[in-house]
Amino acid sequence: MLDVPMIQTRGFHNRAGGFDVRVRLPYYRGLWTSLIEGATVSVDGERHAADTVEWTIGDRDFTLAELTSSRDARWPVDVPATLHVSRKEPLAIGLHDVEVELRVRMSYIPEELQPTIWSEERRLVITR
Amino acid sequence: MTNGGYAYGVSLYSYTSEFGSTLTLDDCIEDVADMGATGLEILGEAHVEGYPDPPTAWVDSWFARLDRLSLTPTCLGSWVDTRRFGSRPMSLEEARAQLETDIRLAARLGFRYLRPKLGVVTADLQPDPVWVPATEQVLDLAADKNVVICPEIHWPSVIKSKVVDDYLAFIDRTGTAHFGLLMDTGVFQNRGHGRRGGTRSRLGDGRSAPPDVPQVPVADLEDILDHVVHIQAKFYEIEDRDGRLHDDYIPWAEILDLLHRRGWQGHLSSEYEGDYGVGRAADQLRRQHALLRILAASG
Repeated sequence: MLDVPMIQTRGFHNRAGGFDVRVRLPYYRGLWTSLIEGATVSVDGERHAADTVEWTIGDRDFTLAELTSSRDARWPVDVPATLHVSRKEPLAIGLHDVEVELRVRMSYIPEELQPTIWSEERRLVITR
Repeated sequence: MTNGGYAYGVSLYSYTSEFGSTLTLDDCIEDVADMGATGLEILGEAHVEGYPDPPTAWVDSWFARLDRLSLTPTCLGSWVDTRRFGSRPMSLEEARAQLETDIRLAARLGFRYLRPKLGVVTADLQPDPVWVPATEQVLDLAADKNVVICPEIHWPSVIKSKVVDDYLAFIDRTGTAHFGLLMDTGVFQNRGHGRRGGTRSRLGDGRSAPPDVPQVPVADLEDILDHVVHIQAKFYEIEDRDGRLHDDYIPWAEILDLLHRRGWQGHLSSEYEGDYGVGRAADQLRRQHALLRILAASG
């Protein structure tokens, strides 16, 4: 079961070489992943550009280039994606201000009003 | 329950802010049946597990649930994402393949109508011209599968427009019985509704503003009603004022009067697009169905 916000409470962890943040697609349908332009992740004001963030959706791992060039991969609306962020030091146990900006290209909206950009900040707790 | 030929349905789009978090697919469909609706509309890319090829067990449970709840599948929402391949446009072959995939899925799940949402190429929402040959090439498949393809007339499009004229010309030219129009009642809104809640979003980097759309009179619907095969009964908020139900945005009395007078047959498939919030869709859908039933009984 997912949290209502885009940024999920679960899945915020340190791991070897960085940390993970879990997000849901804040949209009403799933998407071909090639429609995703990327997600920028900031933690406590430290910004990680979209092309440095790697993705896991279901059991498939992607760099941003792989995500946007895939012809068959999908991001279902009820399946969260894990964003892998590289970082030299692990995040300290406790509170962190996490911000995610997700950009998606919609085909049915005039091009001058695209991409659609979702942004959200949440204060999350990291425990490990 | 029918009223002069139309029946009440619900689109699961209505539960967007809760699907996957506070409501499962089962919960949503149970809710539709509980309010007395008979038609069920879903979005292939949202509600079908493993879209576009759901597991057999999922399809079996889909039909078992419909049977148990006495629900009829009405319209399957689909997309022709013409910007799917980055900077290059979608080819005719790719557009046709997308339509074929969704026609087959619609038929597999028992849907009579397929609503492809087409990618656009202009600020006034002209669809990518690839829709014409791609649709023409799948008409035989649609006939074989008994599916009617129906692009929607949806705000900010208006009825008197080149977009709709082109759809009507397509029907005239091909003589097909497997292409029609889906009318979204948001087109008739008296005023805009600012949706509250949900993840903050914006369209583009602020270089352009959304269009200023003229109000569309319900009378315009009369001109095209013979080609309207499905109605998305879009609404934003049904208020409880002085102990009565009111919709200050969509002129339901006028719409229902026209449908009654013309004996329109099909489903009014409710599509709640109001404020986000846990429990809101279930309550607002019931308010709308009650309002429609009250108006239908007094009309």
